[in-house]
Amino acid sequence: MLCSLPGWGGIAVTGEMTKQNLPCTLSVKDITKSFGTNAVLKGVSIDLHAGDVLVLIGGNGAGKSTLMKIIMGIYRADGGEIYIDGKAVNMTNPSAALAAGVYMVPQEPMLFPNMTVEENILMGFHESSQELKKRLAKHMEELGFKLNLQRKANTLSIAEQQLVEILRGMMREAKVLILDEPTSALTFGEVQALFRVVEDLKSKGISMIYITHRLTEVFEIATDVAIMKDGVITLRGPVGEFNKEMLIRGLLPTDAEMQESGKGAYVPVPYDKLKPVMEVRNLSGYGFSDISFDLYPGEILGIAGVVGAGRTELISTIFGRDKVLGGTVMLDGRDITGLPTARILKEGINFVPEDRHYHGLFKIRSISSNTTSALLNTDEIGRVNINRKRQNEISRKYVDEFRTKIVSLEDLIGSLSGGNQQKVVIARSLSTNPKVVILDEPTRGIDAAARGDVYNIIQQLKDAGVAVLMVSSDIEEVVELADRAVTVFQGRINGEFGHDEITQDVLTGASFGIAQKKAVAE
Amino acid sequence: MNKIKDLFKARWMSSLVFLILLFLITGIADHNFLTYSNIINCFNTATMYTLLAIGIAFVIMTGEIDVSIGATLGLTAAMTGLIAQSGGSIGKMLLICVAVGAAVGVFNGVGVAFFGVPSLIFTLGTNGLIRGLIYIVTDGRTVENFGGPIAYYGNKELFAQITLYYALTVLLVAIAHILLTRTRKGKYFIAVGDNPGGANLVGISVFRTKLIAYILCGVFAGIAGYVFASKYRQVMTVAGNGYEMTAIAACVLGGISLSGGLGNMVGAAIGAVIMSSISRLLVFIGLPSDYNNTITGVMLIVIVVVDSLTQRRSIEMSRRKRLLSRTAPGAVKGGDEA
Amino acid sequence: MKALKKLVHRWEFFLVIFLVLEFVVFGSANPKFLRANSIMTSIVNYISVCIISLFVTLVMITGGIDIQAASIIGLTSIIEGVLWSDAGLNIWVAVVIAIAAAAVCGALSGFFVAYCGVQPMVVTLGGSFLYSGLALLISGMSATPAYQGISGFPAKVGKTFVGFRFLGKGELLGIPMQIWIYLVLILLCAWILHRTKYGERLYLIGVNQQAAEYSGINTRLVIMSTYVLSAISAALAGTLLTSNMNSAKYNHGSGYTLAIITAVVLGGTLNTGGKGSILGTVLASLIICILRYGLPLCFGVSTQNLDLPVGIILVLVVLGREIAGQHMLSALFRKRG
Repeated sequence: MLCSLPGWGGIAVTGEMTKQNLPCTLSVKDITKSFGTNAVLKGVSIDLHAGDVLVLIGGNGAGKSTLMKIIMGIYRADGGEIYIDGKAVNMTNPSAALAAGVYMVPQEPMLFPNMTVEENILMGFHESSQELKKRLAKHMEELGFKLNLQRKANTLSIAEQQLVEILRGMMREAKVLILDEPTSALTFGEVQALFRVVEDLKSKGISMIYITHRLTEVFEIATDVAIMKDGVITLRGPVGEFNKEMLIRGLLPTDAEMQESGKGAYVPVPYDKLKPVMEVRNLSGYGFSDISFDLYPGEILGIAGVVGAGRTELISTIFGRDKVLGGTVMLDGRDITGLPTARILKEGINFVPEDRHYHGLFKIRSISSNTTSALLNTDEIGRVNINRKRQNEISRKYVDEFRTKIVSLEDLIGSLSGGNQQKVVIARSLSTNPKVVILDEPTRGIDAAARGDVYNIIQQLKDAGVAVLMVSSDIEEVVELADRAVTVFQGRINGEFGHDEITQDVLTGASFGIAQKKAVAE
Repeated sequence: MNKIKDLFKARWMSSLVFLILLFLITGIADHNFLTYSNIINCFNTATMYTLLAIGIAFVIMTGEIDVSIGATLGLTAAMTGLIAQSGGSIGKMLLICVAVGAAVGVFNGVGVAFFGVPSLIFTLGTNGLIRGLIYIVTDGRTVENFGGPIAYYGNKELFAQITLYYALTVLLVAIAHILLTRTRKGKYFIAVGDNPGGANLVGISVFRTKLIAYILCGVFAGIAGYVFASKYRQVMTVAGNGYEMTAIAACVLGGISLSGGLGNMVGAAIGAVIMSSISRLLVFIGLPSDYNNTITGVMLIVIVVVDSLTQRRSIEMSRRKRLLSRTAPGAVKGGDEA
Repeated sequence: MKALKKLVHRWEFFLVIFLVLEFVVFGSANPKFLRANSIMTSIVNYISVCIISLFVTLVMITGGIDIQAASIIGLTSIIEGVLWSDAGLNIWVAVVIAIAAAAVCGALSGFFVAYCGVQPMVVTLGGSFLYSGLALLISGMSATPAYQGISGFPAKVGKTFVGFRFLGKGELLGIPMQIWIYLVLILLCAWILHRTKYGERLYLIGVNQQAAEYSGINTRLVIMSTYVLSAISAALAGTLLTSNMNSAKYNHGSGYTLAIITAVVLGGTLNTGGKGSILGTVLASLIICILRYGLPLCFGVSTQNLDLPVGIILVLVVLGREIAGQHMLSALFRKRG
């Protein structure tokens, strides 16, 4: 794709240059963005023409949402430029984006819960409300969306909220419309209606960026496809040049990265000699249903799936953070279903949360404090008085073992890099000497070197006979580490795989709902 | 029909019902209460609190707070008194009140919305500042013995025993309410308090909205100061002390949520009437005024707890619904068989 | 050298400097300022705020706030008065009962905050109305009229105070008993906050309640307990005040609320929680106390004008902290989103 843009020397990875010298509605050049030391976007460029529907796919943490937020002015890029209709635009805040004709329908609806639907949609406009209401009625008809405009937004289902967000987008009559996973909560009928709208907007010359996890949607509405991985766009071109297999392969690492994963010296877990340390039977909770699996000591069980599949809800419920609706969890023969977190810790399970910023870190506390926080209910660091010496001893032990890069144990954990922060959180999860360690996205947002260290730590755990339950959206990671794996799709387990069956194709496919025929044992 | 149904669901409606219940209970305890004169009196005496409540309602709706309004009231009341003593016109008094109130509002708004100081703390500091200013302005003495036109209007009735001031206040309430609920820019206040991130996304300036809220709050507090002086004709240096708490309580009673994004002016006005009438009502019920604070405290706590529990419940319910829908069998056909 | 540099960056260091400056400025303006007795008397006059701010620090570290403590001062005072004077109970029994009553008050509000999710500001606002109202009602139960206050507490023997009144007026080694009690409470609070596991839990809850839950901490129980402690401290303050003034009145302590919060905030406690120290609160209380003593004495500022300088200091301090803090925090760690 070439655009008549001064000084543009772009790269088209695949496909012929068909649209030469057409003005680009949106052109994004070499956008970089880092949060702290974490580089999320490493030089991303995109071009959109009028009427393009660019479907952007990629794994979790690839940077898609961040890129969209930059285009929408919610974040400021560290480097790079944005051009609308050939003119450079400084996206300082959403007002600038709106004025330039860009609108983003966010992934999580950002409505005003206490206002009516109508107020929500019309908020922020400058035209007369008569006109706006007429336009709104028209759009609603097009969408086939029947909704009482006077309902309060907090009474809407998520699907309805998403539709309201889409209406907002349509009302903006933007030149560039960004749809961030708009169908994640919609029913089949609603999705079809949305597609009709997309077609309609396409014909009106509006450009769209459409983010999704659903590969089938690519072929229904896209004009162009791009795959994003680790902060860069790895594959891009008109949709006609791709098929599903190529997309899946594009989501996997390139051959250069694909190491002969340390499966070289693989020692299989002697399952026939072991009894499961944890047995989950028909467990149902908010976000998942009828989950059953066994966990053996000294194994790593990977749980793969996309965001929203219900994995985090599953393990959080096991850990006592949410209500159990049905089923049982047994630990070494003891029933621990539905126990509060403090008890679960005592019974011998510990947890590394998915989002360390929200659930894992005590940002303005020391490394020592963070490492030993789970020990407060034991006598390890004192009975009444806190034994700071012991705190430091324990923290020092893990810092040395994990090669965590710190200056002093007294430093605030917020000053460490993402990888080192994660090591501290992992240390905390091990400090209680648990039988089972649950890891939720253990290497999310950390650099490659730290990732290697974390993998080593997990291996050591396995060698020590601890059972590891690992939720990960990083398929490579699961392939590299897991002894067994299950995939969760829409709240249920849709695949179980033994060690030799775990391949990236299979896991990726299953995560996206493409159930493979289970490999029958040879 | 739907409109009437919606009306009843409004938060301020429950406050109104509560107020009416209070009146009825009082009437049952003492039949003498249920005269037009008595009831109207309840409203008339609520003028000051109503003004304060309306002003602070703007701020609370954006999700912030302002504990300096009592001091602002005291300051403008004192200044009004001083102007009256020197024979100034009512116009001049009002002008000063509005200007001083607006200045305080700008100060607060910049500190909170621009610099990001937590609102409770910053307005706490402002409160001290203004309290100190009052002493400087009044030389530490009570401002009294001022008559003239201001005294004349102080208790003047307009019609049907409604005082002039209260009538004007109701007008202001109506204007504020329409502003808040019908105008495009007026809705920004609630939007900012309801979902600041969402407001940012649709291009609303959170800073500007909060700044204006604080300015309005200050202006209303200033006007309330004028009313105070006009009514009591004596302004002690501690005038207005604690009024901010009463105003906040009035807002809470009127259905305004302290976390922002919920409530409206009518509710605040009703809450103000409740707060200011309690003492009078208790007299009729036969409870000495000693019971005022206790009843107020119980009322406040009960209302807030019930409100919080119901809100939490509904949030939790919708979260659960959302998660359950993800696993429902009728969920999207996102997958294929390979 | 590094340790020294770190010391300088700490907020308490700045407070110490400020306090020393006060002594220097006031002392040179009027040497009478430096009379130990006068200084101690000024502290005794401000002791309620000093004591309560210690424990409100605990509340605010968990991210909450307590504006009902001042009302509990009067409530305890009048309970003690009525129980002793009208019910004829032993004064110490009365004190214990009053403190227990205060604990219940704290537990009630704490329960609503911790388990019902109500905003602390509103609950304690309601509490402040309720408990001051109850105080008035209780004083109505006494034979002594409310405005008068119950007096005649034990006991004064000649020129010395013994028994109950020793708490408020007595001296030990030339230092008023109240200051000794304050010192003990400072040590107690410092121990609780900085040395015990409980204190560690307070900080963790304040920094990130979710993460604290994941670490197995019973955050709700802990939060509730802070309100109980705060109420008990108010009860102690009320007892001391009653003993000092030989008067049990329902409205003791009214007007102290803002002073308490100011002391805690000035002391470095963030109202979002997770940060604060006992030392800071103590220094801040003393700074304000000395300011209120020094300004009238040395510069002829009338005692009523004192709110202005305190207000100015608070505003400047929080503004300055915000500006400086933004700069440092954003450099240290850029939070996502």
